[in-house]
Amino acid sequence: MNNKFKFITLAIVSLFFSRLASAEVAPGFNSWDDVTAAADGGQVNVYMWGGSDAINGFVDDFYGVPLKNDYNITLNRVPLKGTVDAVNQVLSEKEAGVTGDNGNIDLIWINGENFWTLKQADLLYGPFAAGLPNSQFVAWDNPAVNLDFGRPVDGMESPWSSAQFHFMYDSARSNYEDMPRNYGFLSKWISDNPGRFTYIRPGKGGFVGTRFVKQIFFELSGGHDQWVGPYNEELYNKWAPKVWALLNSWEADLHRGGETYPTNNADMHALFANGEVDMSFTQSPRGAGPTNSAGTTPPTSRAFAFYNNMIGDFNYWAIPYDAPNKAAALVYANLVLEPTLQAAQVQPANGFCCGWGISTAKVTSSEGVAAIQDAQNNLGDAAEDQGILARALVSDIAAEYQDKIEADWQANVLLK
Amino acid sequence: MGGDRLKIILSLTPPLLIILTLFFGGILYGFLQSLGYQPAIQKYDINFDAYYNVMFSERYAKLFWTGLALNLWVSFVSTFLAAAFALFGALAIRKTFFAKKFCNFIYSLNLPMPHLVVAVGMIFVFSQSGLLARIFTQIGFIGSPSDFPILVKDKYGLGIILAYIWKESAFFFIILMSVLQSLGENFEELAQSLGANKWQRFRYVILPLVMPSLFSASIIVFAFSFGAYEVPAILGVNYPQMLPVMAFEFFLNPDLNARSEGMALSMIIASIVMILVVIYFWLTQSKIRKD
Amino acid sequence: MNDNLKKINIYAIYLGSFLLILPLIAFFINAFSFRWFYPQLIPKELSLQAWVRLKLIPKEGFRSLDGFLDLWLSNPTIIKALVNSVTIGVIVTIASIIIALPAARVLGLLNFRFKKLIIFIMVSPTILPPIAFVLGLNINFISWGFSGSFWGVCLVHLVPIMPYVVLTMTGIFANYNPDFEHQARTLGANKFRTFYLITLPAIAPGMVVAALFAFLVSWSQYLLTFLIGAGKIMTLPLLVFSTASSGNPALTAAISIVFIFPAIVILFFTSKFISGDSAATSGFGKL
Repeated sequence: MNNKFKFITLAIVSLFFSRLASAEVAPGFNSWDDVTAAADGGQVNVYMWGGSDAINGFVDDFYGVPLKNDYNITLNRVPLKGTVDAVNQVLSEKEAGVTGDNGNIDLIWINGENFWTLKQADLLYGPFAAGLPNSQFVAWDNPAVNLDFGRPVDGMESPWSSAQFHFMYDSARSNYEDMPRNYGFLSKWISDNPGRFTYIRPGKGGFVGTRFVKQIFFELSGGHDQWVGPYNEELYNKWAPKVWALLNSWEADLHRGGETYPTNNADMHALFANGEVDMSFTQSPRGAGPTNSAGTTPPTSRAFAFYNNMIGDFNYWAIPYDAPNKAAALVYANLVLEPTLQAAQVQPANGFCCGWGISTAKVTSSEGVAAIQDAQNNLGDAAEDQGILARALVSDIAAEYQDKIEADWQANVLLK
Repeated sequence: MGGDRLKIILSLTPPLLIILTLFFGGILYGFLQSLGYQPAIQKYDINFDAYYNVMFSERYAKLFWTGLALNLWVSFVSTFLAAAFALFGALAIRKTFFAKKFCNFIYSLNLPMPHLVVAVGMIFVFSQSGLLARIFTQIGFIGSPSDFPILVKDKYGLGIILAYIWKESAFFFIILMSVLQSLGENFEELAQSLGANKWQRFRYVILPLVMPSLFSASIIVFAFSFGAYEVPAILGVNYPQMLPVMAFEFFLNPDLNARSEGMALSMIIASIVMILVVIYFWLTQSKIRKD
Repeated sequence: MNDNLKKINIYAIYLGSFLLILPLIAFFINAFSFRWFYPQLIPKELSLQAWVRLKLIPKEGFRSLDGFLDLWLSNPTIIKALVNSVTIGVIVTIASIIIALPAARVLGLLNFRFKKLIIFIMVSPTILPPIAFVLGLNINFISWGFSGSFWGVCLVHLVPIMPYVVLTMTGIFANYNPDFEHQARTLGANKFRTFYLITLPAIAPGMVVAALFAFLVSWSQYLLTFLIGAGKIMTLPLLVFSTASSGNPALTAAISIVFIFPAIVILFFTSKFISGDSAATSGFGKL
């Protein structure tokens, strides 16, 4: 009896300790020290959309330099014309039978559809996000973080920054007080100002346009809460006809009579800057700040948000299954969550596009808190009031809605 | 004699090897994949499903046939107009006048322009708030960008056509200039002395003489514009969509099976081009026999 | 009558030339301005900001020789792209000429069975759309381990270049008279001297044209480099595409100017080779 008891205790205790010991930081790495050691002296190949020289410069300076100096890792930033190009590369590598560490890409700046494409096909390395030391600053319990377009992240990508949909106007042409604060008032504004409004076409490369339309669903149906969770066909079919009816009712008063719509942000900003329409869209907490500094919108541009239903979400870094430098990728993903660097992201002077990837409330170090305060106070006048933005914030919804809305918009609004 | 044969074979091997392994090798892989044969994902079927889907399935049929129509329209019109523009330019510039060298340079300037840049250039000039629109506004023709016609990113492929005319005219121009130069003035002067007027000289003397080169060049330009990706990717719209753009989109589909469809479409595009080239060869052969 | 016609002729030419230059004018204005919005014709704000952002010109206050060198030597993306584009261009140009030379000689001077078929094969990459072979080739290259390699990219560049080089050089040889070589040989010159002193000077102009075509085709490759290079090999066209996706006209214009600059220079210096009496281009008529 005694022996048996001892044996069982021993078994339980050793099981306990072995589980403790094998709690990996990420697949293949037992501790963070292992990670930094493995990454030392190597390279990291970071694939990201390259259309913003400000973002490019930010990555080169704020990550490239510390990576080299503190971790002895060389940053190789690969500018893409679209995230989907990196996804395509991983797909091709899978098709060609690449395995292990023999791929080309270490990290992809990703979210939404692209993320789901790779995740569902088992083309990502992970789960790794929770093992990063700096993940303590990430609000993983917030569905806006742990769900990406309604699908569970499951630690297969780690946050970088955030974005929230709202609007721009030109203070040289319009007044802040006159700007509409919901779709009802927007409809009125459009009929009062024929030809002066348009929106981005929902579709590939135009997810901002899809967001614009999703928000109409929220408003018309009386609330965002019912849309959270899995795709609800009934709910969609109930409200979709009303949404198309609204959009069609605008048609005659839209820019170009609703015959053609801008396909992406760049086209939208161009129409706005060249004086063809009076509003544009932005996703940055600094409102019109980034585009003003880039010179793609007039310097008098400012931001405003509706009082409700402004979709915000996060964007992430993911690691492909065949990444050649997985340890370096982990170091990088951890570095971007560093509170002082996150604060640098938000500082206007650094020119970055987007908002916080971490939850600022979780930062306790005095250095971090100071940097955060400074950034928050510095957002500039091209930004909308952060309080208004925060109160209007709603999360994005299940990915199925995205495809449905894009296809149905094309059929019911564009081709009507 | 044997030594000669060997010499011929050895000389031809290097370039042939490159083209056969890389080019035709790539096509072969693409063709196999279009038939559904993808060993990497353990698919070993051989069927024409992908072809059927691309052309006739509910999802893609409309996109395919409108795309095909657009492709043919764009290629024919751009080739013809580029040739015409270059021909009249070459004929006119021939007559010596003081800015000849400069105009010569300008007309052939676009030859080395990469298509990518050409496409961007079209946007800069022909968009509704582009350079031409601004000039018109200054002159007073129009009052706002919406008064300017939609010439780029339009559903008739006008922007694409403009881009190809702008670039390919240089190609035609250089060839025409060299042909006209080698022809010399003699034929024309002879015809003129025999009483032929300008139009007759053009129609019955010049045109037949430049036709062969013009025709060869047209085939190259047509084939290229039919299968090229970059210009329609920048200047086209979502619907109707030119076929090479549509083909590339299939590869962005996460479903690896969709790649068969992408390859099938690429093969269809290549086949159409091949058919046209064969027709060209057949036509020139019969022409030679006529002469 | 004739005079009026001549006048119309001249005005038409000028109009044509104007339309042809218009895009270039737009590029230059865009590249050297800031916020050049409609309806500005003359930009309100001239500036070098696009070039600074591209990291080609240092910020204000650092524009000494040292400043330039510091900037370029820090290896910004544009310098990487420029260096790669030039290096690849030169390598494949030289390689393609060496590879094509014997074949062109044989095709130009001799007649043999299957000659037409072989010419057709050589020319096919220009006729068939790149999309038909690039995607398949990409998968092959990945599985052979060439994906993302510099030499892999050079190798594939040869494919679109070979037809032009072979065609041009065949045209040269078609107009070439080998008798001089025979004479030199009978006078005692060996193979190498004959080639160097007789053949080479005669075919040099054609070789130059072929080299230009080759370089320009390589210089402007996007899809090939992008797919086979897997993003690891950064060349100028890739950068132009990704910059264009920003929708920032000043940046796009600036990088486009960099992109077309060598092409224009080459065209300028070799216009005498390409103009009228070149045996090379008349080869096209013989197709």
